[in-house]
Formats: sequence, structure tokens, C-alpha cells
Amino acid sequence: MFRSRLMQPMFLSAALLLLATGTAAAQESQFNDIVAEPKGPLKKIPEGVILVKGAEPSASDDRTPLPEQNRIFSNVLQNRYLGLSWRLPADWWQEFEGPPPSDTGIYTLAQLIPTKSFKGPLKGTVLITAQDMFFTLLPASNPIERARYDKEHLPSYYDVERPPAEVKVGDRTFIRFDYKSEVAGLHWYVLATQVRCHLVQFVFTSQDTQMLESMIAGLGEMKLPAEERGGGDAPLCIADYAAKKENVLYRVEPVLADRKFNSVPVRIVIGKTGKVQHIHIISAFADQAVKIKEALLQWRFKPYKVNGEAVEVETGIVFGTPRPRIEGTAAKAATLE
Amino acid sequence: MIRRVIPVVLLLLLFPLVSIAQVDPGVRGGAAGAGQPLASVAANNPAGILNFFIAGQDAFEEIETVPEGLGPRFNSRGCGPCHAQPAIGGSAPAVNPQVGDATASGATNTIPSFITSTGPVREARFPFFFDAFGNPNPNSPNGGVETLYTIAGRVDAGTCTSAQISQPSFALAVATNNVIFRIPTPTFGLGLVENIDDATLLANAAANANNNFGVTGRFNRNGNDGTITRFGWKAQNKSLQIFSGEAYNVEMGVSNPLFQQERPLPGEDRASGLPAACRLNPTPEDGPDFAGSGAGVLDDVAAFANFMRFLAPPTPSTTTPGGSTSINNGKALFNAIGCNTCHTPTLKSSPSSFTPSLSNANANLFSDMEIHHMGTGLRDNVGQGDAGGDEFRTAPLWGLGQRIFFLHDGRTKNLITAIQAHNSSGSEANTSSFQFFNALTTSQKQDVLNFLRSL
Repeated sequence: MFRSRLMQPMFLSAALLLLATGTAAAQESQFNDIVAEPKGPLKKIPEGVILVKGAEPSASDDRTPLPEQNRIFSNVLQNRYLGLSWRLPADWWQEFEGPPPSDTGIYTLAQLIPTKSFKGPLKGTVLITAQDMFFTLLPASNPIERARYDKEHLPSYYDVERPPAEVKVGDRTFIRFDYKSEVAGLHWYVLATQVRCHLVQFVFTSQDTQMLESMIAGLGEMKLPAEERGGGDAPLCIADYAAKKENVLYRVEPVLADRKFNSVPVRIVIGKTGKVQHIHIISAFADQAVKIKEALLQWRFKPYKVNGEAVEVETGIVFGTPRPRIEGTAAKAATLE
Repeated sequence: MIRRVIPVVLLLLLFPLVSIAQVDPGVRGGAAGAGQPLASVAANNPAGILNFFIAGQDAFEEIETVPEGLGPRFNSRGCGPCHAQPAIGGSAPAVNPQVGDATASGATNTIPSFITSTGPVREARFPFFFDAFGNPNPNSPNGGVETLYTIAGRVDAGTCTSAQISQPSFALAVATNNVIFRIPTPTFGLGLVENIDDATLLANAAANANNNFGVTGRFNRNGNDGTITRFGWKAQNKSLQIFSGEAYNVEMGVSNPLFQQERPLPGEDRASGLPAACRLNPTPEDGPDFAGSGAGVLDDVAAFANFMRFLAPPTPSTTTPGGSTSINNGKALFNAIGCNTCHTPTLKSSPSSFTPSLSNANANLFSDMEIHHMGTGLRDNVGQGDAGGDEFRTAPLWGLGQRIFFLHDGRTKNLITAIQAHNSSGSEANTSSFQFFNALTTSQKQDVLNFLRSL
């Protein structure tokens, strides 16, 4: 009896010691830069994959379409969030996808180049981007102001070919701004429109102006979101709705413990009852994203009403260290030329 | 007879195709356009500063021994042999000194497969730690420098033998794709870079915010005070002094006032550290010379920083290669297709308390000092500060004309290949690079290449 009482703690201590030793060994084994005797078969790190992420996008659910979710299928560019569908010009394709969304809310939707079967003597590029206007750094809140800003800040080595002006392509109105580089013989034809508070830009570049015009004409075939025709069920987008104190009934601040200095733009959808029903972190480190989502899901807003009826609202808010906005008023006062 | 004719005919048929393609003119010959002190330093303004430059250069050129601080782990025995092209302070030379370092003074190191006599000087990192079986574990990010060599076997290594210390498992790392490389960054003109105010960098970023090339970018920042960091391949270091202190410790194994301890491998530091038998010297091994005078008082880290700070920026050629018309045209094209969105040609330095040449001067560095996503093709899966696995500082292009190896890992000597490497999924540089390859004529591309090799 005595022996067993004595032995029990001894066995327990020995077991704990073994466990501790085992744990230490297991921990050590996770941090090796020298492995004396590897035991195959060995796993390889896959080629061409970015495993160590910096700031990246994420969302509170995987059902709601996101602006960065583009796909090109059967040569048709589709973006469910924006409601866009556009058949790419013949003999053009996207070899590489664009970068992740920026901390200023810029999405690269597509980067197109000619295919190998392209027959023309002069080639070019097409860049399609979307700027979430909640987070733009520029003093421009719509395509007209943005084009005017671009014209006023055009580097000296470019010449304006066509000042910003409204153009109709198919049944859609764009703001078009053209400029060229004399030395390169290249022309940039930029067409911009606004969809769900995003400035969507098509930048066509080539030495071949005829080809560019023909590609622009193809934009007329672009399918538009239902909201453009007065229908659809996309939330109403309202800038700064979450930033105004009077709209926020209950608020919990996310505690971002890790010392980072990045700007974290977040797009949220507020339901008719004032609850946050969707969170899209546009750019954040993983731990920041977790904290921000946890906090935002507790927020309560004053429901937004249109004609007395509560409606869903989409808006933006910035956490972390916001990037400074660029000063300027000229573009705000702009009128079309 | 027919056998002889066919190759000739084929050659003649192919000749027009070959002759019209643009080519990298290669390393620009002639005198090194770098390696001299700034004009005001050469003029010894303020009095005595030239001695600090000379003392810094002496320290930079020194070859270390174990009693002087080398090891127990090291990548090379001095700053100068690696920062050598086209002059002292530059980048990797044509003949890799690390091959000789492996066995110098009796050392018994195995030369890893990625270190060759005609390849670039390289530092190696394992993106992930290995588990006990030798599998890289993606849940265990490493990213630290895996120093190539040990002092074991050297005549001056004392009790530190191969029984006490081993090289990292480089063959395993190569076999499992778990190794990435960095080559030495050139240090010419870095005093100007150090003296560019954050406000200037922020204003430049703002000026580029409305570009039509899909470029965004942001700054890496110092974890301590939140200010913009700017040195190193991922802009992870704040100042030349920090840069020097870390390099002295990591590359040569010399403990110093900024990095006081002897440096173990990243995994070794998670276990029991360096073996006592290999920690041979009192630390720090580098320090001020209390009995010295003038520039001789400084510790090596401060001396290195002064040398780099007072090195003049590279002088570009106005005529070589291709002639001035081609170079000027190339510069204009470089801007037109948006390369300058990241590779900002000029940033102005602030007033300097050191020497007039650093004050309000144009730093023609061709960098915005921002970090940008470079995509799957260039990713190294190493995070440093705010920079993720595919984010890199815009590499300054000044001095590029006389550089041999390109990109962070020195994977190519060919400028065209280096430009092409800007294209991959997730890269911010795709559109500009696409325009180079898809929107310019062959002759225009050649002008851009000539311009770049003139720098």
C-alpha cells in the first residue's frame, strides 16, 4: 500500500517527464535546418505557389460574390460581383492573373495580350481594373472627375488626344479619355464607367489605332448588371455610412495586437435590420482579418431607409493605418469638355 | 556536298530573323562608373571626412579570420569580395569568392550545388523549417539566412570542429524546393537613399497613384517606430548602420555593437543555440578602438556604413551602348510604357548634416522604395516586415549597365530574361512588361535595353 502510494506519484512524474521530453522533441523537430537522416519519400514545396502571404483579401462567407473573383471561361470575362460579362476580343487572352487587391481598393480584373495566333502587325495590351471608390486616394468620386484628374496630371511625355468626354458604346455611357506617346507611337484609350461604387476602367494600348477602335466597339457587347436597368438586388452603396457616428448604434473596436502599419480597407453589407451580414476584408494580414471580422459582426447600424423602407447598404470603413488621401479640388469642380 | 549546303542555306534563311531580334548588349565595358567617393567627400568637405571614407573602405575590404571574429558560421570572409562588381561596393563579381571561402585556411565545408565559380554570390534561406523526417513544413515558416559554411577545419578554429557544428541540409533543401537565394545589393549612392525623407517617398507614391498600368505598391515599415524602411531586397532595413550590423553578423558571423551575439542558424536558435566549443571569442567581436584616434576609433559597422554612405552613385554612360540617340529614345520609351511607375528615375535627398554632396541632391536611383507584388514567378515565400512572400522592393536600376547578375536570386545574366521575369500571375508589373514585349517594335525594345545598359 505504502509502496503503491509512493509509486503512483513517481509513475506520474515519470510519465509527465516523458511527455515533456516528447513534447520538447516534437517541438524541436518542427524547427530543423539540419536533418541528419531524412526519411523518404519527401514532400516538395510546390513550384510557383505563394504560400507565405502578406496582406491579402478574405471574407466572412464564401457565398457572396467578391470583386476580385473574376473568371475567364470560353473567352468570356465574368465578374459576378460587378455583374459584368464581356467576350474578349478574338485572338486576345489572359496569360497571367493580376495581383491581389491593393490596400487602396484597386482590383486588377484582367490583363490581356494577343494570343500566339494573333495576325496583326502591331500588338498591344488591355488592362481592366476596378477602383472601389470608398477607398480611392484620389480627389475624384466618379469617372468624370477621375478622367479630369488624369488629364490634369498627365506626365509631360504624353499628349492628350481626346479630352475626357462622354461616349456611348452600345447602350452604355462611358467617360473616354485618350492620350498618346509620340516617341513610342503608342495610344492609350481609356474608357471608364461606374458600377456599384466601383470605377471600372478599360485601358486599351497599341500603336494600331484602328485595332483599338474595333476593340472599343466590342465593349458594346458587354452585359451590364441588372441595377443599370433599374432592377437587380445589389445593396445600395453609400460612402462613409459606417464612418458616421450617428449611423452606428453599437460598436466594438477590433484589437489589432500585432504592430503593423498597413491600411485595412473593409467593405461591409448592412442588412435591413442593421446587422452586418457580409464582410469583405480587401487587404489585411490574417490575424488582423480575424479580429476585424469578429468585431464587425457585433456592430449594429441604424437601418437605412428609402421611401420609408429599410434597404441593404454596402459601405466601406478603414482600419489600421489609413493611407493619406491626395489633396486636390480641381477635379471635383470638373465639368465635361 | 548536300550535307554541307543545307546548314549554310538554313543559316542564311535564319539570319534575317536572328539579326532583327533585340539583344541584351551585356555588361557595359570600359572604366567602372562607380566606386569613387562623393565629390564633396573627395574634396574633404567637411575636413576629415575623407579619412572616414578611406577607413570605411579599408574595413570593407578586410578579409576576416576567426580571431578577428569570422564565424562560427559565415557566407563569406569579407564584404569586399562579394560587393565587387564593377568596383568595390558593387554587386556579385564574375568569379564567385564563396567557392574559395569554403576551404580557405583548411576549412572542410561542402560547397552547396547552387554555389559555383561562375555563378552569383548567394545567401541561402529556407522558407520553411524541416520536420524530423526532412519534409519542409509549411506551417513552420523560417525565412532566415541558412549560413553556407562553418569554421570547422580551419587552422584558427580551435575547439570548433565538424563534430560540434554542421552545415545546414542544403542538398535536402534543394531536393524539396525549400531553398531560395539572395545576391548582394550594390551599395553605390546609398547615402543619398538614406537621406530621402519619408515625405518625398510618400509624395512620389501619391503622384503615381493614378497610373494606368495596374501598379499599386506600398511601403515596408520599421516595427519599432513605424517609419519607412528602404534597404535590402524587401526594404526590410531602416538604415545603413542596421544593414551593416546585420550583414556583418549574418554574412561573416562577426558579432558587433548592433548584433551582439554570435549568430546560430534559425533552427539552432530554437533549440540549444551555438555549441560552446564554437563560440570562441568574447562578444561583441567588433567594437570601437578606445585607444584609437580619428576615424580609427569607429567600430567596423560604423565604418562600413560610412563607406557606403559616402560612395558616389554610379555614373551612367551617355553614349554606350548603342549611341546617345538610342539611349535617349530608350529612356523616353521606358517612361512611356510605365516602367518608371515603380522605377522612379529621380528622388531628391534632404539637407544633409554629413557633406554637401548628400544635400538636396538628385538621387537617380530608378526606384520608388515601395514593395510590390511580383507574382508567382519571382516569389520566394519569405516574409520580412510587412512584405509577403512575393513582395519585393523596386530594385534600384542605377549601375545596372555594369552588373552581371539580375533579380534577387541572380538567376539570370540576361536583361531580357530579367524583364520577362516581371510577368507571372499576381505581378503588378505585368502590364508594363507586356507593353515592352507586345507593344514596342524590335528597334524600340533595343533602345530600352541600350538605355538600361547605359545606367
